[in-house]
Amino acid sequence: MLDPAGRRSPFPAWAGVACAVLLAACSGGAASGPPALHWYVFNEQSGSFAAAAKRCSAESGGAYRVDMVPLPTAADQQRSQLVRRLAAHDPAIDLVGMDVIWVPEFAAAGWILPWKGDDARRALRDRLPSAAATARFRGRVWAAPLTANTQLLWYRSDRVTRPPATWDQMIRMAEALGDSGTIQVQGARYEGLTVFFTSLLASAGGRILAPGDTSVALPTGPTERALGVMERLARSPAADPALSTSREDQGRLAFEAGRSSFMVNYTYVWPSARADAPEVARHMAWAPWPSVIPGRPSRVTVGGIDLGVGAFTRHPRLAFQAALCLASVKSQRTAVTRGGLPPTDSLLYDDPDVRAVFPFADLLRATLRTAVQRARTPLYTDVSLAVMDVLHPLVDIDSVADVPRLRRAVRRALRSEGLR
Amino acid sequence: MSDRGTALERLFWRATVLVVLVYAGLPLAWIVSLSLKPAADLGDGHLVPRHVTLAHYGAVFANPHFPAALRNSLGIATLATLLAVALGVLAAYAVVRLRFPGRRLFLGGALAVAMFPPVAVIGPLFDLWRRVGLYDTWAGLVLPYLSLTLPLAIWILAAAFRDLPWDLERAARVDGATRLQALRKIILPLAAPGVAAAAVLVFIFAWNDFMFALSLTSTDHARTVPAVLAFFTGASRFQQPTSAIAAASVVVTIPVVVLVLLFQRPIVAGLTAGAVKG
Amino acid sequence: MRIPREHRLGWLLCAPAVLAMAAVTAYPVLAAVRLSLYRYDLRFPDARRFVGLHNYLTVLTSAVWWKAVAATLVITLTSVSVELVLGMALALVMHRALVGRRTVRTAVLVPYAVVTVVAALAWRFAFNPTTGFVQGLGILDRPWLSVSWSAFTIIILTEIWKTTPFMALLLLAGLALVPGDALRAARVDGASRAQRFFRVTLPLMKPAILVALLFRTVDALRIFDTVFVQTRGALGTQPVSLVGYDTLLVSLNLGLGSAVSVLIFVLVTGAAVAIVRGMGGALPEASFR
Repeated sequence: MLDPAGRRSPFPAWAGVACAVLLAACSGGAASGPPALHWYVFNEQSGSFAAAAKRCSAESGGAYRVDMVPLPTAADQQRSQLVRRLAAHDPAIDLVGMDVIWVPEFAAAGWILPWKGDDARRALRDRLPSAAATARFRGRVWAAPLTANTQLLWYRSDRVTRPPATWDQMIRMAEALGDSGTIQVQGARYEGLTVFFTSLLASAGGRILAPGDTSVALPTGPTERALGVMERLARSPAADPALSTSREDQGRLAFEAGRSSFMVNYTYVWPSARADAPEVARHMAWAPWPSVIPGRPSRVTVGGIDLGVGAFTRHPRLAFQAALCLASVKSQRTAVTRGGLPPTDSLLYDDPDVRAVFPFADLLRATLRTAVQRARTPLYTDVSLAVMDVLHPLVDIDSVADVPRLRRAVRRALRSEGLR
Repeated sequence: MSDRGTALERLFWRATVLVVLVYAGLPLAWIVSLSLKPAADLGDGHLVPRHVTLAHYGAVFANPHFPAALRNSLGIATLATLLAVALGVLAAYAVVRLRFPGRRLFLGGALAVAMFPPVAVIGPLFDLWRRVGLYDTWAGLVLPYLSLTLPLAIWILAAAFRDLPWDLERAARVDGATRLQALRKIILPLAAPGVAAAAVLVFIFAWNDFMFALSLTSTDHARTVPAVLAFFTGASRFQQPTSAIAAASVVVTIPVVVLVLLFQRPIVAGLTAGAVKG
Repeated sequence: MRIPREHRLGWLLCAPAVLAMAAVTAYPVLAAVRLSLYRYDLRFPDARRFVGLHNYLTVLTSAVWWKAVAATLVITLTSVSVELVLGMALALVMHRALVGRRTVRTAVLVPYAVVTVVAALAWRFAFNPTTGFVQGLGILDRPWLSVSWSAFTIIILTEIWKTTPFMALLLLAGLALVPGDALRAARVDGASRAQRFFRVTLPLMKPAILVALLFRTVDALRIFDTVFVQTRGALGTQPVSLVGYDTLLVSLNLGLGSAVSVLIFVLVTGAAVAIVRGMGGALPEASFR
């Protein structure tokens, strides 16, 4: 059962009777003991989040107990479940593990509580600046950054001697390799596509929204350059035939099968390749995400999980306390050593245990230091949909004509007029 | 043309029947096959698995969401069926046996409801349910299923009632039975095939629904199998476990196929009744 | 004035059904009409205000909406017309088969009863390059669900597979009504098999055909499950229901989403009225007498 009594109080009597008759799911009833805080977060497989929940409960000395409630595995379902229940003022949501892009939305809608004073300072202490920025919105702190994430370039060191520095170079190298030269990127119509575009655009010196995140930027030059890379890649033989349905994991599988020589992807591909395809892993190397403009370092999108406190919780004090503990360096250490989730604490990247998990720790930290935020607007979902709607499928991109289309679509989204 | 037909004709019909069987069965046979293949054979392209494993079925039931969803589906569909048949019997009886003003309007309205696009109401229903506490509850799904299947139930039951020898009821009433007693003791037993058809079709509707389940539930409290199935993922958030999805699909398909096999005759009669009797 | 007992009893017996049906249709539709006149976005709970027809203007000037209307119409028109032909063939088989009639009738009920999500998954797997068998036929050199026209093909195939049996059963009902005498008379007059079918059977089946068309068209216009499972609306396959669902329940933009809902309601009602007109208002008679 996911939650205790309470949130369904106006339950009609006849339904109650019906449920009783059919023996099923209407029970509930609060357990005794310390107040339970429900922590909604994605289903972390290694158990490191569950371990953190257990440790924090123990360290609280009986003040609270954290019960981890895994969200659905599908990414869009995680947000759906949370926002619908928060819109229904569900008091059972005490702690929320938010994808960093939800923070402005949840904050603006009043679904999470702002952090104040010492709590806010502690939540952001020693955090990588890009990770700390994900927790801020309109001058306030709304979350404690727990894990970060960003992409690197993965390539086959047995097929190319030096990693490509730019996208143009990479496409040329891949084309020269022939059948095994495929480049894996995220081209399906989903959030990964917006992330890909955001990174390309930032690397070209542009951004989707103007500073302040209330109006469209999409400057012509950089936008055309970013779209140009997508256009060129999609029409190149170096693109995967399944590009228009390709997500992170399809890319990983293709790379592990040896059919690809290049891939932009998250760090989880490294332990995965070592476990599933040791032959490939031996020749798997990493490099900075390729540049768009020669000589200008790329800027890659930052992701990760921020911990917020649900606005309708019955135990706000305890929830802030628990969130600080769950996002503490100790928890992050477990998350990275057991689950391979990159920390937001910048000092952890010097820890020998972390460097054992991430032999590329320095590159990862450097990438995160300069990482770029996705649009910081409560309407992020709509903005992202507008972007993917114009850009999908990549093979149909027209790098000149699509710039005004993109601006129009994003402008509509910002007016809350984005149909999806 | 003789009753049995010539040998050639019989051969032709045999072949035709075979074609229909392949049409109806092939996609399901494929999904059954996928659910039985070990992971390594998944891409072998054989319809008949070379090796058979039940491991995926084990995995499906080990996933905590699936048994919960199965329980929700069974409970919600059963409740909706009982209620829809009960309300449907009353209304169908009135429509067939009584003359009253508004009868045609009632039938026309029911017909309109039968053609109703669910997406036109999910927004207000979600908004209302979240405020009155029906969001993510059994009742929150039973109610829409009941409403949207009532036209079908009324339609089939009315068609079944129309064929009954009403003299029996009249005789019973003369003997002192009330309308309700006559309905229960005389009419319902006689109309049993129609009632069965209505019940099975309502059950299938509720069992199949995806949009309401997706929109009005979010957790193991009330989420039904189709909504869980559409988001079935593997261990990691990136994996799409084909075999497990296939196994889960087979499990939810079994009840409806059994119902269809058991009640083929009344279902066909029920579905065609409206048009035939017109 | 005294109300006759029979009237009161009739109303009483119908009342629960009327209430149940109205609670989930009439009331929410009216609520949707009202909401559609407001800016009402649950992400901005304080920004709620009356905006008149602005939401409709937004929807009707949106390329997304018109693309979705086009996709919905493509799916509806293709699937319903194929189903009509295929359903007629199937109905004839069920009607005339000399052997295995019961087997056929049971078999066709299977696709009808299968959960739509399962049907959509089954076809998705069948067309998947790794887990399927269709790629082996060598018709297309890339994954089917990664190209627009082939994605439409799979969606439409799934719809046809799933709903042809329903069409066939409705047509079977009409076929049973064609009097044997008329057919025998035509045969005596020297009409061929084909002539008898087109000149005698089809005209007599017109009401049944129109009923079947009505139900299937209205049903196809609401398509949601199949597309959700197979493409999630990618590659231009997004139907209007998915636009409505996403705006209402993913964006939680209830005002704008309600405008979409109302427009879908109008679209479906318009289609239904047009078909009923086409059959000369015979429908309520045909289905309920």
